[in-house]
Amino acid sequence: MTIKQTNENGNVTLALSGRLDTVTAPELETALERALDDAKELCFDFKELEYISSAGLRVLLKAQKIMNTKGKMKVTGANETIMEVFDITGFVDILTIE
Amino acid sequence: MIFTLILTALYNAALTVFVYIADKKTPFGKISYKSKQWIIGILFGIMAAFASMRTAGVDIGDGTIMNVRDAAPICAGLIFGAPAGIIAGVIGGLYRYISAFFGITGTYTQVACSVSTALAGFIAAGLRKFMFDDKKPGWVYGLGIGMLCEVIHMLMIFFTNANDPSTAFNFVKICSLPMMLCNGFSVGAAVFIISLLSKGRSGVAAGGKHISKTFQMWLFVCIVIAYALTSTYTYILQSKMSNTETESVIRTSIDDVNQDILDMSDENLLDKTNRIRSEYLKSDDKSEAFLQSLAIGYKVAEIHIVGTDGIIKNSNKSEYIGFDMASGEQSREFLQLLDGGNESFVQKYRPQAYNSDNSRKYGGVTLPEGGFLQVGYDADEFRADIADTVGKIARNRHIGETGFIVICDDEWNIVSEGTEYTGQNLSNLGIWIDTGSNPEKTIFDIELRGTPYFCEYEFVEGYYIVGAIPKTESLFMRDVSVYLSSFMEILIFAALFVLVYFLIKRLIIDNLMRINRALSKITNGNLDVTVDVRANEEFASLSDDINSTVSTLKRYISEAEARIDAELEFAKQIQYSALPSVFPPYPNRREFDIYARMDTAKEVGGDFYDFYMLDNTTIAFLIADVSGKGIPAAMFMMKAKTVIKDLAESGLAVDEIFTRANAKLCENNDAGMFVTAWMAIVDLKTGMMSVANAGHNPPVIKHAGGRFEYVKQRAGFVLAGMEGLKYRRTDIQLSPGDRIYLYTDGVTETTDTHNQLYGEDRLVNLLNSIDDKDDKSLCDAVKDDIDRFADGAAQFDDITMVSFSLNFVKGDDKITFIPGHDAGTAVSDFAAQLTSKLDVLPKVSSKVSIAIDEIASNIINYSHARIAEISYSIENGRLNLVFTDDGNPYNPSDTEEPDITLSAEERQIGGLGIFIVKKMTESMDYKYENNKNILKLTMALSS
Repeated sequence: MTIKQTNENGNVTLALSGRLDTVTAPELETALERALDDAKELCFDFKELEYISSAGLRVLLKAQKIMNTKGKMKVTGANETIMEVFDITGFVDILTIE
Repeated sequence: MIFTLILTALYNAALTVFVYIADKKTPFGKISYKSKQWIIGILFGIMAAFASMRTAGVDIGDGTIMNVRDAAPICAGLIFGAPAGIIAGVIGGLYRYISAFFGITGTYTQVACSVSTALAGFIAAGLRKFMFDDKKPGWVYGLGIGMLCEVIHMLMIFFTNANDPSTAFNFVKICSLPMMLCNGFSVGAAVFIISLLSKGRSGVAAGGKHISKTFQMWLFVCIVIAYALTSTYTYILQSKMSNTETESVIRTSIDDVNQDILDMSDENLLDKTNRIRSEYLKSDDKSEAFLQSLAIGYKVAEIHIVGTDGIIKNSNKSEYIGFDMASGEQSREFLQLLDGGNESFVQKYRPQAYNSDNSRKYGGVTLPEGGFLQVGYDADEFRADIADTVGKIARNRHIGETGFIVICDDEWNIVSEGTEYTGQNLSNLGIWIDTGSNPEKTIFDIELRGTPYFCEYEFVEGYYIVGAIPKTESLFMRDVSVYLSSFMEILIFAALFVLVYFLIKRLIIDNLMRINRALSKITNGNLDVTVDVRANEEFASLSDDINSTVSTLKRYISEAEARIDAELEFAKQIQYSALPSVFPPYPNRREFDIYARMDTAKEVGGDFYDFYMLDNTTIAFLIADVSGKGIPAAMFMMKAKTVIKDLAESGLAVDEIFTRANAKLCENNDAGMFVTAWMAIVDLKTGMMSVANAGHNPPVIKHAGGRFEYVKQRAGFVLAGMEGLKYRRTDIQLSPGDRIYLYTDGVTETTDTHNQLYGEDRLVNLLNSIDDKDDKSLCDAVKDDIDRFADGAAQFDDITMVSFSLNFVKGDDKITFIPGHDAGTAVSDFAAQLTSKLDVLPKVSSKVSIAIDEIASNIINYSHARIAEISYSIENGRLNLVFTDDGNPYNPSDTEEPDITLSAEERQIGGLGIFIVKKMTESMDYKYENNKNILKLTMALSS
């Protein structure tokens, strides 16, 4: 998995590609710790992400909890599989998915 | 007789051998040196006293006994120690001196014998101390010293009896040879037997084998020659002198007798002549007839009246009348009576001028009226006149001490009285004198009753005067001189011998020995030794030369060492650089870890290790140890390494690699080098390890969850050791978590400061105690422990080790892994590999990936399993995924479903994964069998 991060006046975008699973989730977690510091708005760009597993969901949940306190967070470009996972797990109700 | 002496000599030798054995083999040897010397000294003193006794020697007359006393103190001194010799000598000497007063021993040689016995002890002591370095001498020395002491003994007899040399000489003549031989024999035999007994033991003084022996030999030869020359010269000179002496002694004696006979004969004739003269003067008848009657009356042959003119005026024989006395040679002598000088004249008996068969003697007396009366007297007559008196002349006369002088008639019948042979003919005594070949007044040899004599005779007045002197007496002075000078020479030459020996030893041998000792230290490698013999200039310069040579050598060696060290350092670096030394070597390969390290000893060694991927899923690794050290071993190591790698990369099985490598390494292996090696080829897809061992230490293997243990597989022969060998292969199934530790004998054969080996047990125990570490830490920990063990002791051999561990085995349709050990990535890779193989929509493959990720992470994080496996199969368009683990029993179907309606703040993340999987799979089938969780997922591959 690769993470591409952009920051425009507090609008932080993390573009992920590959898989977000047990192996790669810790990388995202590390990236988030840095990205969340001055983020007012956080955007996960999942256009290039193949799938997400529960380990990825945990990181997203953690990020969501933090962003709930300081701004907004949204997920964009999730594919069918990812959306299915979000559906199954009820994350569609928690996350802002565009 | 002489046997008694030999017996005593043997007693003494036997005593010596007995004491020697007692000293070496019995507790007697343990007592202190001082008391031992006293005991031995007294023992040999008693032996000397015993040898002095009549029973142990030979009586040679006058109570003087020939013996072998001196051998005892010599043996004590030479063999057992200087003090013992002196004690024995003094005891023996004192006994000899005192016993003479009691008649036990002879008084004639009392002083000589006692002094020389004491002296023998001192001489033996001195020689042992100063010539033989307080060691036993060789038997030749023993013999020589025994004889030498007797020479001194003989000289002492001469010196103490200077006023009676004849008796002294007689003793010496009888004693000298037997005593020298017996004493020499006794000491020589004792030393000889002891040297046989102590063969192989040190302590026999050879006096330094080589130079001194040669010197001694030449010195001995020179001395013998000098001795022979001077002795011969003395002998010849003394013989000449004694011949002259003998001649003059006999001559004088014969002359005396001769003169006596002459005087007597002359007196007799003169008396007769005077009586005839007075009858002639008294008578008035001066006729020829009167003279004839006178001649008859006085039984003389001729009576002549010679006138003042020297002409015979009257005679009893008319034919002489008118004879001129001056006309005959014999008669002319009588003319001296006419010049008024002598009144009488008697002529010597001589043959007549005109009839040589008849000897006649003439006498003449002057007549008052002038002229003289001459009487001629025939031999027969006057011999009858003097016969009585002649017999008495030689009585009580003798020549020298034991020679004789006799008077014989002209038939060689002895007429002189006073001998038992009077009246006998000389021939009866065995003496024939041939006057032709032995003229008178010359010395010739005769033999009387077996005794040789010098003899001379003279014929006078019809008698033979025969004088003779025994040769022994005649040659006495010569013999005494020869004996004395011989003894003195032996003594002086012996002293010279010892002195020269001593000087050579002091000046040369001892110094040479010191130099040799230093040199042998140097040749043994201690170049710091310096030679410092400064006894004289030659040795000082030799010492300096040796020292400067050694220091030059030392410099060269250290230079060469430095150069070699540098080259070896290079070689070491080249050797190192040939081995893979970057760790981890394959950062992308997670299935295994490998680490190796080599710590070389000071020298370049022959250890090496190697590893390489043969293809994407096969790794080979090996460890090896080339025989020997240094550059040759390093070069051979390079060759072996290359050969093995080439063969391995051509895809051969491990046993075949060794078989062919052996063949190649045997080629041209003139240096006879060999290499032990252990090699493994691991198939990473199956975990199957095939192994071959060529005489190397067995590996230590730990199977996952177990302990390190030696795998004692039967090893093949070393590589390059013998041509045509085949090597065997052993297959070992490895599982994730298994670890193989390889090492060279440098590890187990490391020694500590007490020379204890590190050993296999200690190695295995250590490996087990440091289990959980990675390969590098494991190897480093072993090396640290070895260093602690060696505790500064020098490292003699290379220390090389390789550690290989298998993390997971990823086959085509299966992955075996250890939870928690980088397993997530491995599983993720496996999932990627699986989905790439399935020809399905990305949506489906993502679901497969998610399912694998969820279940595997569950096992990895929560099951506490030691080992887990994921395998798959495709059946009727469905994918079957089977997860097996030996962790805690856990049935995911029983999991409570999470409440997915809660807000972000309230959501718990646990259980979500299983929930996703449940939703995505067609079926989830769980069972617990053989202590294993087995979870089977079935997923549709078509959407």
